Amino acid sequence: MSVKDLEKDVHTLNDFYNPNVLINLGPHHPAMHGTLRVMCRINGETIEDATCEIGYLHRAIEKLGEDKTYHQWMVYTDRLNYCSALNNNIAYAMAVENIMSISPTERCQYIRVICMELSRIIDHIVCIAANALDVGAMTVFFLLVHWREQAYTMIESMCGMRLTTTYARIGGMSYDLPDNFTERLWKFCDEIPAAIDEVEQLLNSNRIWIDRTKGVGVINKEDALNYSVTGVCLRAAGVDHDLRRDRPYYMYPELDFDVVVGSNGDVYDRYLIRMEEMRQSVKILKQLNKKIPSGPLWVNDKRVQIPEKLDVYTKMEVLIHHFKIFMEGIDVPKGEAFSCVEGPNGELGFYIVSRGGPKAWRMRVKSPSFMNFQAF
Amino acid sequence: MNKTISFSSNAKFLETQSNLYTRLTEKYALDRKLETDKLNEPVLWAKNPEDAKMLVKAFMVDESTKVDFLSDLTAYDNEDGEDGEGRFVLVYQLYSITLHTRIRIKCLLGLTQQAQSLVDLFSAANWLEREVYDMYGITFANHPNLRRILMDERFSGFPLRKEYPIKQREPFRDNIDFHLGANPLQVENTIVEGTPEGEK
Repeated sequence: MSVKDLEKDVHTLNDFYNPNVLINLGPHHPAMHGTLRVMCRINGETIEDATCEIGYLHRAIEKLGEDKTYHQWMVYTDRLNYCSALNNNIAYAMAVENIMSISPTERCQYIRVICMELSRIIDHIVCIAANALDVGAMTVFFLLVHWREQAYTMIESMCGMRLTTTYARIGGMSYDLPDNFTERLWKFCDEIPAAIDEVEQLLNSNRIWIDRTKGVGVINKEDALNYSVTGVCLRAAGVDHDLRRDRPYYMYPELDFDVVVGSNGDVYDRYLIRMEEMRQSVKILKQLNKKIPSGPLWVNDKRVQIPEKLDVYTKMEVLIHHFKIFMEGIDVPKGEAFSCVEGPNGELGFYIVSRGGPKAWRMRVKSPSFMNFQAF
Repeated sequence: MNKTISFSSNAKFLETQSNLYTRLTEKYALDRKLETDKLNEPVLWAKNPEDAKMLVKAFMVDESTKVDFLSDLTAYDNEDGEDGEGRFVLVYQLYSITLHTRIRIKCLLGLTQQAQSLVDLFSAANWLEREVYDMYGITFANHPNLRRILMDERFSGFPLRKEYPIKQREPFRDNIDFHLGANPLQVENTIVEGTPEGEK
């Protein structure tokens, strides 16, 4: 067989090109988790054309928000994004408290910020680990998910649940911190940076990782703003915007942390930002852990305060009060508020229109991922 | 003990926000209703959908508002008429990345009244308006692709309207016609039933 014959057998990608080859990503694809379905026409590994369909995970949560009392709806906020349930709980509690003009106690605010930063770390871990796993770096997945596990164990000790926490309550938290929490948080804060460093060493100069992330999925600054992309994706595009600094809530004005901004808007930048944000979160956790104040966890407000269990069992009036809070719900005055927090994925907003009574008139959840998917 | 720490204690932010208020009262609130919500954010009532869009355009070029970000676009049912004449209230949540201020524009809409699409100003409005259409049945003029987005295309009714019962269900068949087992294809080299091999 001559060399010419051999060359004949060599095919290029173009020989295999068939415009009818379609790939259906999702809604059950492991990379999608039911959120988005994408039908792509592919040429080799390049997507030439795609259409999206969203709504497979639509669970009528906003309608339920109009049907359930403010308290009952708390459990649904867990399901908005199960990677950062704590963040959603707290953001929702904050929105209702804003309408009721309640400001949580200092201890409560500390605990809430700790929770939000923990859930930010968890969410970023899931994002980076799953991303790395999808391009074949399984080690990264195991290294990081170990720390997610540690964080979940810590959350379990706080509220008894791991994934769907329902930790926050309107006006306080369901449980106080466990006794040895501070030590556990110190241990976590001391040890996780080493893991982040190790992952960075594995990925930052990894040829495969760079090839598959640099210049991939670029969103430039103008598009990001035009498509209302928020959070990490917006910062990766070079827009210096973080609600924790720009519209601070709770303890954030007193904390020292940096907002990480990228320049290229590609997957690699988003990965770098997530890594650095985890470090910043650890920095915040350390600052908070130094000075968690003692004092009451609950606001002293009869409208929302859930009475102590012991009192419920022994005192008649308290039992009635307990019953009224849980059966009738809390009476939220007329008014509306659009309260946003910087969630791990971006701006998570709750727009609640109250017309008095225990149920919301309109419960709008402004989810960051809906906007991010649109840009996608 | 109940120390309040929030952005409203930030002096610089308060100054920008009060500037914004003065500007809104002086320029835009002359013949419109200006309110504040529980977070002390301005809520401006537009006179009609065209006016709402015009306001958004004006805020985008105004130096003291500098709106460059559409945070959210939604609507709510005004069935009980508490906010005035009109079945729905359309809500624009605008944000300024540079000033960090929020402005909310609200607009009353009749049951069949058409709203103006914001897609030419913010691409983000595309899916958000589709969602509003999907949930409330509000149509938007000049929208490039006004279809249902979250619900199935065969769905009838608008689920977030107050009269829509929460327990109502509309089950659909799979929206792909191809069903395994429904129209089985003849495959060659299949063993014909009844004559298994080796039973000859």
